[in-house]
Amino acid sequence: MKSFITVTDLNNYINRLLESDLLLADFWIKGELSGFKWYQKSGHMYFTLKDNKSSISCVMFKSRNRNLKFAPEDGMEVLIRGYVSIFAPQGKYQLYVEEIQPYGKGGLYLYLERLKEKLSKAGYFAVENKKPVPQMVNRVGIVTSQDGAALRDILRVLRQRHSSVEIILVNSSVQGINAPAELADGLLLLNEHAYVDVIIIGRGGGSFEDLMAFNSEEVVKAIYNSRIPVISAVGHEVDYSLSDLAADLRAATPTQAAQLAVPDLISLRKDIIKYQDQLVKAMNRKISYDKELLDRIMMNKVWQEPDYMVKNRQEILLNLEKTMHKNMAMVLKEKSSQFSVLLKALDNLSPIKIIQRGYAVLRKNNQVIRNVDEVARGELLQITVQNGDIEVEVKAKEKIIRWNA
Amino acid sequence: MECLKFEDALKQLEKIVEELESGELELEESIAAFEKGVNLSLHCQQELKKADGKIQKLIKNLEGEFELIELE
Repeated sequence: MKSFITVTDLNNYINRLLESDLLLADFWIKGELSGFKWYQKSGHMYFTLKDNKSSISCVMFKSRNRNLKFAPEDGMEVLIRGYVSIFAPQGKYQLYVEEIQPYGKGGLYLYLERLKEKLSKAGYFAVENKKPVPQMVNRVGIVTSQDGAALRDILRVLRQRHSSVEIILVNSSVQGINAPAELADGLLLLNEHAYVDVIIIGRGGGSFEDLMAFNSEEVVKAIYNSRIPVISAVGHEVDYSLSDLAADLRAATPTQAAQLAVPDLISLRKDIIKYQDQLVKAMNRKISYDKELLDRIMMNKVWQEPDYMVKNRQEILLNLEKTMHKNMAMVLKEKSSQFSVLLKALDNLSPIKIIQRGYAVLRKNNQVIRNVDEVARGELLQITVQNGDIEVEVKAKEKIIRWNA
Repeated sequence: MECLKFEDALKQLEKIVEELESGELELEESIAAFEKGVNLSLHCQQELKKADGKIQKLIKNLEGEFELIELE
C-alpha cells in the first residue's frame, strides 16, 4: 500500500511552511478593500484585499478590530499589517489582519471622492430633498457622545437662547469602528421614539481619521432618511464631511448648530411685541386718518349750515323773479309804445279825421253808398259832414270808371 | 389658530402688520386685520411658553425597550 497523508496533515504541513517563513509572519501590504463584512455576533471582520490583478481573503478578529480608528468600507485604499496562514476547513490561505490604516491621506481622500460622487449621483445630497428647519423649535434631539465637548457646547447655547427647550440625547460613539452604526442608530431612534422638531448630529474637532464616521455611507443614508430635519456639526469650521452634505443644514461647529436649531427666544419675544406695537400704531393711524377725513367732509358748508342749500335756492328763485319782472316790464313798455303808434295810425284812418279834412259820407237809409248804382234819381240821401247832416235829393248821376278802383 | 405652526403664524403676523401700515385697507378690513394680528401675536407668545426645559436621554434598557431618563 502506498503511504499517504490526510487532508489535515497536508494543511498542517503547509501551515508550518508558511509560519516558518519570516517574511509572511509579519508584513505590511497595500490594497483596496472589497466585500467588507462585519459579523456583529462574532465581531470578526471578513473582506477581500485586491489590486488590479489579484486578490486575497482577509480576516480581522474582534480582538484586533476593537481599536480601529475608522470604519473600513469597500473601495478604501488601505495598508494592512498581518500574517498569512491556512484556514484549514476550507483549505485556503488567507491574510490575518493585525491592523488597518487608510493608505495615506491621499488614499482616504480618493475613497471619499469616489463615495461622494456615488452618493451624489444617488441623490443623497440633492438640495431639493432638503427639509426646512423650523423656525420655532421646542424639542431638540442630539446624537453625539455624552462625554464630548461638543455636547457641552450644544447644551449651553441651546439653553442660552431658549431656556425651556426640551432636549433628548442619544449617546453614540463619534469615532472608531462602532461610530457609523451607532450614529445611524441614534438618528433612527430619534425618528421612531422621540418627538423632536430637529436633530443635531455631530462632534467636536479631531483628526481627519477621527471624523471619518461622518463620512460613512451608513451615516449619510441615515441622515438622508431622517424624516426630522437634521443639522450636522462636524469638527471645526474648516472640516467638511459627507454628513454635512447630506444634512438639511450644515453648521460650522456644534455651537453654531445649537444657534441654528433653536430661535433666540428673547429676540423672538421682542419681535412679537414689536409687531403688536406696530399693529396698534397702524390701527390708530388708520382711525385718526379716517377721523380727519370725516372731519374734513363735515367741515363742508352743507353740514355746517344745513339751511345753506335752501337759502341758496331761495336766492336763485328771487333773482329769477326779479329778472322775470324786469323783463316783463320791458316787454310791456315796448308793447305799449307799439300800441300808441298803432293807435295814432288808427286815429289817422278814422272817418272823423277824414271828414275833418273835408270829405263827406253819403248814406241811404243809414247804408253807406259806395257805388253809383245804389242810388236812383229823386231818391233822398243823407250826407254827413264835419259838424252835421244834410239831406239831399239825387238830381242826376253819372258813372265814372277809375283805373285804380 | 390652535394647530397653526409658529412660523406660519409669525409670517401671517408680519404680513398683516405690513398691510395695516400701508394704510390701503378699508376701515372694516383694518379692524378685521387688527383683530387677527392680535390673536396671532398671542398665539406666538403662547407657543414660546410651551416647552418645559427637560434634558433627557433616550436609551434602550435591558429588556430591549426604549426609555427616556432624566439627565439633570
